[in-house]
Amino acid sequence: MTNEAAYWIALAHLPKWGHLKINNLIIKFFHENQISIIDFFSLSEYDWRKTYLLDDKQVTDLKQAKAELASNAFLAESFLSQGYEIIPITSPEYSKTLKKNLKTAHAPAVLYVKGNKKILNEQSIAIVGSRAASEKSLAFTDNVAKKASIDYKVVVSGFAKGVDKQALDSAIKYKGQSVIVLPQGIMTFASGFKTYYSQIINGDVLVVSTFFPKAPWKTELAMARNPIIYGLADEIYVAESSEKGGTWSGVIDGLRKGRKIYVRKPEAAEKNANNILIEKGAVPVDFSGREIAKAYPVLESQPVSMVQEPDESDSLDTKIRLAIDGRALTAKELLAKLALDWTAQKLNNYLKKLDFIEIVKEKKTNQYKLKGSKATTQSILFT
Amino acid sequence: MTRQEAEIVLQKTFRLPKFYDEQWQAIEKILRGEKVLLIEKTGFGKSLCFQFPASVFDGTTVIFSPLIALMRDQVKKLTSLGISAKCINSEQTPEQNSQIINEAKQGKVKILYIAPERQENNEWIEATQQMNLSMVVIDEAHCISVWGHDFRPAFKRIINLVKLLPQALPVLATTATATKRVEQDIVQQIGKNISTIRGNLMRENFRLFVVKVNSEDEKLMWLGENIPRLPGSGVLYTGTRVDTEIYSKWFEYLGISSTGYNAGLDAESRIAIENGLMKNEWKCIISTNALGMGIDKPDIRFIIHTQIPQSPIHYYQEIGRAGRDGEPSTIILFYNPEDKKLPESFIEGGKPSVKKYERVIAAIKTELLGQQELMKRTNLKQTPIRVIKADLVEQGIIREVMIGGYKKYEFIPNSPPLNTQAFEALREAKLKELDSMIAYVATTGSRMKFLCDYLGDTADHAFTNCDNTGEKKIIVNSSPEWVQKLSAFRESYFPKLEVESSKSNMVNGVAASYYGVSNVGAAIHRCKYEQGGDFPDFLLKLVLKAFRKRFGQEQFDLVVYVPPTSSGDLVKNFAVKFAAVLKIPVSHNLVKLRATAAQKIFENAPLKSENVRNSFTYKEPVEIEGKSILLIDDVFDSGATIKEIGKVLTNFGAARIAPVVIAKTVGGDIV
Repeated sequence: MTNEAAYWIALAHLPKWGHLKINNLIIKFFHENQISIIDFFSLSEYDWRKTYLLDDKQVTDLKQAKAELASNAFLAESFLSQGYEIIPITSPEYSKTLKKNLKTAHAPAVLYVKGNKKILNEQSIAIVGSRAASEKSLAFTDNVAKKASIDYKVVVSGFAKGVDKQALDSAIKYKGQSVIVLPQGIMTFASGFKTYYSQIINGDVLVVSTFFPKAPWKTELAMARNPIIYGLADEIYVAESSEKGGTWSGVIDGLRKGRKIYVRKPEAAEKNANNILIEKGAVPVDFSGREIAKAYPVLESQPVSMVQEPDESDSLDTKIRLAIDGRALTAKELLAKLALDWTAQKLNNYLKKLDFIEIVKEKKTNQYKLKGSKATTQSILFT
Repeated sequence: MTRQEAEIVLQKTFRLPKFYDEQWQAIEKILRGEKVLLIEKTGFGKSLCFQFPASVFDGTTVIFSPLIALMRDQVKKLTSLGISAKCINSEQTPEQNSQIINEAKQGKVKILYIAPERQENNEWIEATQQMNLSMVVIDEAHCISVWGHDFRPAFKRIINLVKLLPQALPVLATTATATKRVEQDIVQQIGKNISTIRGNLMRENFRLFVVKVNSEDEKLMWLGENIPRLPGSGVLYTGTRVDTEIYSKWFEYLGISSTGYNAGLDAESRIAIENGLMKNEWKCIISTNALGMGIDKPDIRFIIHTQIPQSPIHYYQEIGRAGRDGEPSTIILFYNPEDKKLPESFIEGGKPSVKKYERVIAAIKTELLGQQELMKRTNLKQTPIRVIKADLVEQGIIREVMIGGYKKYEFIPNSPPLNTQAFEALREAKLKELDSMIAYVATTGSRMKFLCDYLGDTADHAFTNCDNTGEKKIIVNSSPEWVQKLSAFRESYFPKLEVESSKSNMVNGVAASYYGVSNVGAAIHRCKYEQGGDFPDFLLKLVLKAFRKRFGQEQFDLVVYVPPTSSGDLVKNFAVKFAAVLKIPVSHNLVKLRATAAQKIFENAPLKSENVRNSFTYKEPVEIEGKSILLIDDVFDSGATIKEIGKVLTNFGAARIAPVVIAKTVGGDIV
């Protein structure tokens, strides 16, 4: 497998392919046609088009990736020699929990890891929550981590301040095992490897990243890391969530994917969104992480089921479709139309990731239209 | 590209008429994207086999080479042909290297030479992400194999790199010296897709001699008398660094133009010497084998070894640099049966004790450590630490990681226990190789055939180029005149103590002798450890002689001496006598603030420095203010004590401090 490292790095980070397209390609060459990734890259452009039905952009991307294989090999050598490992989705070492939870559409093609990778296939829980969590939430986190450690369950956390850090520290304190899911490339985590040196060499900590090994920390990566935390865990505990931010969107995303998520039932005076999450279908738990009996009069209204309440981002996508409706718009114009409380930059980034949106350059500004539609641009409209 | 087409390019770019068949054979494979191991003798033209394809490929070719001198030399040549070639190495400034890395990123460099150790460098790895790489070359590929004569751990990583490269990327590994065993090792490590091209190793233009002697003195005398008579200029290989110094002082004494060259020199001096060598500035360069002399000088006319190398393959490699122009070249090996001890001690002492390995493993298990920290934790010297680290990395017990730009060592979980049998097997293989080298001395057959057979070149040649096959044997007869010259030299040559630094007002001092190479060491040992009384008068005479030679009529105001750790008043009494002869006052005011342990129990310089740090003071600072001071001690080893005292006296206002000692140890770095 290690000889394939440069190839996997190339495939896993194909620009703007998304997990689904990459995984479908892997399914096709690895499972259906039973050839190795090296053989796949050695195929002719003709085969890529004919057998794998790849379009021009995809072929161009793959050719570019192929040209970078030698460069990747230099990186891979440095990477492997320092004890990092690369686990492709085709490997039996890849987390089965992650595959089951994220499926083809969301499972990353490779995991970059360092530490005891056997932990990946143990029973696991994730503890998530705010960076600025209350004392109560931290104590809850400690309780849950303690119980997990006693029960030989691995604690998955995201190495952020607050609840994440508490979850890790507590798991270590109670001699349990932990997975750290990084919001950055694994080779940029040097100081962490120094801090957790003895836990890593003793097999109690595994560090995981799904990003390009040298990628520095970025907000987007922190957001993209959240589904991995949820995906790696059999059970999810929420210590504290506000009404926006990483924890919130992570839980919402998890509920949408049909996950059972435990949320700490807050006390009356607490100001957080835990109760709202419980209303949205999360399972309330007490201070020790025990499920609160159904008879408990927690829910005033019936929990809204997933099917009835479409996910926020899904409905946003629909709104965008409707808003654009044949006209190319700038992000600013869209913001106004959607009455969205976002910055134009954030919307720009969001739009670029949508597969039904096409970008039209108008002077120096990006305008967006629906893919395939013959939208007229603003400038033409006004002449 | 056909051979004909390629040769047209060759004539235009390299100004060479055509390829040799074996060159073209290799180049053709490389142009097809294959992997090749090329074993050809020095002077065959191996470099062209990668320089030519590199010049026609679109992107950059990376050449891993362990020899900085060779890199520099080839870059110069390629540049003169108008091919964009650069090298990145530790002797250039980080700014220069960054500049070159930037040019490579922009695709401005066709051929890039780098040391294998560069693979540890973050900036380099990041740069490769933006480079368009066409080919990878491993020069001196025998360094890959522990069975070779010059195994280098950094090459292990290059093997791993080659395994990760895309299948269609051409790779060329070259060496001039690989036995069958090393060849198989290289092929096995690089993997199944590599083909080997092996040429013949016969060097017709060599005249090989072995000179049997009974003492070091006989070597010195024969060389003193005969080096000036040898045609052209050449290289004298000695066994140790101290020997390069002694031989160059001896030649200097005799007026033979020569210069010493060893791994301890700074880059600037080495470059100056390499350049001087190219211009035949000296009759001979005196060097340890630490430097492969990777210099493309066509007319090295003689190579002489005063010390028997560890194996025929070391020997073939070292003499290989002679006579690349094909003109007759004289190759001489001196052998005194005593000489066997040095390579034996390298082999026997090559591996530290198992206990030391365990100490290192235990330290790394508890903490992530860098080399300096590791030396402190384990009280081990740099050399054993390096050997141990390399072995533990090789055996998969520890690994090197980069933490914030610093190299650290980490323990590998679930790694196998230390395998000492591997050391044993290697030790036995090396002893066997040394036996073969002794057999080269003893052989009555053709010496060239002996070497070719050893290297696995079984082709038939007419061997008539040694003192067993037609050349006249060299016999040493020492005349009284030369015996006299040598003893006069011995009494006028005193080792220098290099202690000058910007941190103190110390000047370089002098020792009367090396500890261990004459009767001086034995006399000191008797007095210090066998209750032999005060240092004998002959030592005082010799020290006075050394003092006069080094400092002449320079004036000093005061004699001070290093206060003892445990050996009583030996140094004090000696300093008093010394001061009395020179008629300079002696002071007893340099004292210890606290007890220190004997320096010799500390095995490395950082610990020695720590042992003596802030441990001295001067009781009457007024008496040294603005004064010139002679600082007396018996044995100078790492120099940590002398340097520490130098700092103290400087802080108290001494204007100049000159150390004078009885003996300097040979220890430390041998090559």
